[in-house]
Amino acid sequence: MIFHYLMRRMFLLSFVFVALTIFAFSLGYLFPGDVLSNFTGLRNISPADEIVLRQQLGLDQGYWQQYIYFNQRILDGNWALSFSSQQNVLDEILNVMPATLELASYALLLSLLIGVPFGIIAAVRKDKWLDKLISGFALVGYSIPTFWWALLLIMVFSLTLGWLPTSGRLSVLYEIPRLSGFMLPDILGSDAPYRNEALFDAIRHLLLPSLVLATYPTTVMIRFTRESMLDVLEQNYIKTARAKGLTRLQVLYKHGLRNALLPVTRQVGLQFSTLITLAMITEVIFSWPGIGRWLIDSIYQRNFPAIQGGVLVVSSLVIAVNMFTEILHTLLNPLARK
Amino acid sequence: MKKFRLYYEEYNKGPFRLLWKHFTQQHFAFFGFIALLLLLLLAVLTPFLTPHDPYLQNSQLLLVPPSWQNSGLVSYPLGTDDLGRDLMSRLMAGTSYTFGLAILAVLGSLIVGVILGALSGMSKGVKSSVFNHLLDLALTIPSLLLAIVIVAVLGPGLLNTIWAIMLALLPQFVHGVRNAIQQQLKQDYVTAYRLDGASQRQLLLFVIFPNLWEQLVLMFTMALSTAVLDIAALGFLSIGAQSPTAEWGSMISDSLDSIYLAPWTVALPGLMIFITVLAVNLVGDGIRVAIKKRREN
Repeated sequence: MIFHYLMRRMFLLSFVFVALTIFAFSLGYLFPGDVLSNFTGLRNISPADEIVLRQQLGLDQGYWQQYIYFNQRILDGNWALSFSSQQNVLDEILNVMPATLELASYALLLSLLIGVPFGIIAAVRKDKWLDKLISGFALVGYSIPTFWWALLLIMVFSLTLGWLPTSGRLSVLYEIPRLSGFMLPDILGSDAPYRNEALFDAIRHLLLPSLVLATYPTTVMIRFTRESMLDVLEQNYIKTARAKGLTRLQVLYKHGLRNALLPVTRQVGLQFSTLITLAMITEVIFSWPGIGRWLIDSIYQRNFPAIQGGVLVVSSLVIAVNMFTEILHTLLNPLARK
Repeated sequence: MKKFRLYYEEYNKGPFRLLWKHFTQQHFAFFGFIALLLLLLLAVLTPFLTPHDPYLQNSQLLLVPPSWQNSGLVSYPLGTDDLGRDLMSRLMAGTSYTFGLAILAVLGSLIVGVILGALSGMSKGVKSSVFNHLLDLALTIPSLLLAIVIVAVLGPGLLNTIWAIMLALLPQFVHGVRNAIQQQLKQDYVTAYRLDGASQRQLLLFVIFPNLWEQLVLMFTMALSTAVLDIAALGFLSIGAQSPTAEWGSMISDSLDSIYLAPWTVALPGLMIFITVLAVNLVGDGIRVAIKKRREN
């Protein structure tokens, strides 16, 4: 049963990845400029090299052949060169990706830690002042434009009060050797004498961006958890449990929470794509050296190979996360297995 | 658990009247509705209402503060920006870009979404399944990434990013319409019409669509808040609306350099975006609550 389901998911996943690579491949033709440049990332190609490269990429053959060569290059890690730095796009992406993942995961964690409990409280106290307060705050956070919110926080906490830094991941005073690319584990793993100071500094740098990035997902979580909890509390099995003589807390924990939190696991996956979009904006404002800022710089520089590679990696990441949460949701919830 | 429904009055209100009654009982939602109407009016009439030309630069009046400050001028109620353009006129003109274009984008996307959703909802089997999976793919690509790709292909500009926003909104409409239609198809009255000999087309036009419009309005408001935020964000990143355009997001990015000297040039356009999105969300929540209350009563 589960095996059958997983097989179907895997089949679907491979289908989606084929469609995605076809899309990325066709971008080489859709982007303005020379097709050969777009696929290799080389700017000035001499006529002699051009013949060799054309043969290597299969540009003298049909589109399907070219697509197969394209996939081979992707799998070999032999990606195009970036127009601006003339380095392999894959290496550049792997260099900036951890910063984004670190920021996004802290924001996601924050949104779950704050959003879910507040959503439950709001649902339990429905239409009381506490619910109105929480729902009101959630609505405000849900409507605020991320970049404006970031600027307001910078104006207050960095420019006026001077408490928090406005840009970057770590002060230039500290030098931490790069192990994983994730800042906090790297600092903890290093044996520098200023380890604690560096850790404190990194957290200070992390505070504003993760707060800004967490705002929207937190409010979505509050609203979604509240709705889901209210739906569950109306069910007949809750009334049965109350009638059996369970206390409010027992009902809430054993019957309410477990059913209400099931859709929330799925919502995490659905929100991931929005989270990446918001992370890109946040990174630009806070000069966070992640994939979002890298991609937006690429569009300013008309760096087509970088955009092609970025689309491929970011979309694959979002699809993988979506698929993972979907499978998790199915494993946890027998009703979702068809 | 089915309760009996008692009708005490001789004339019962229609579903729309009931919905309106439940909607107006929520004061915040009704307030948002009025704010939206005002914004819509502003977006349409803005060329006749602006007190100054929003693009006229006046080197005598750079960074005039709002009129509630001592050095402000009454004829420039919200002050001027770093090129001496009247901020109030620019904010009014921005309504038709950020809010008006968002409405057009959502409408266009909604129409295409309804057509595709109806096709997909009424069909079965492999064709429908392949179509769905393609949609799932499109749903996963973040909207900003889609905008970046489209800008890379077509070049930057407000209209090009509108295409990106429409494309990014489309999958959720198709999904929503498709699910709503399939829920309708399970209803008993649809079966009754079918037994009466109604064709697929008649079923769709006369039975299903009239029951769909509330769902559509709800989807419209949800998509509208996303669209406004996206247009502003793309303008802020200078991928969408370009510099002289009085779009709220690009106005913020233009004034970033003078954020120390003139914080109002950054704060006010953001406030407009915030108010617009808040009004849209209030109306959306209000409709959702009203539909729920009508079902309960």
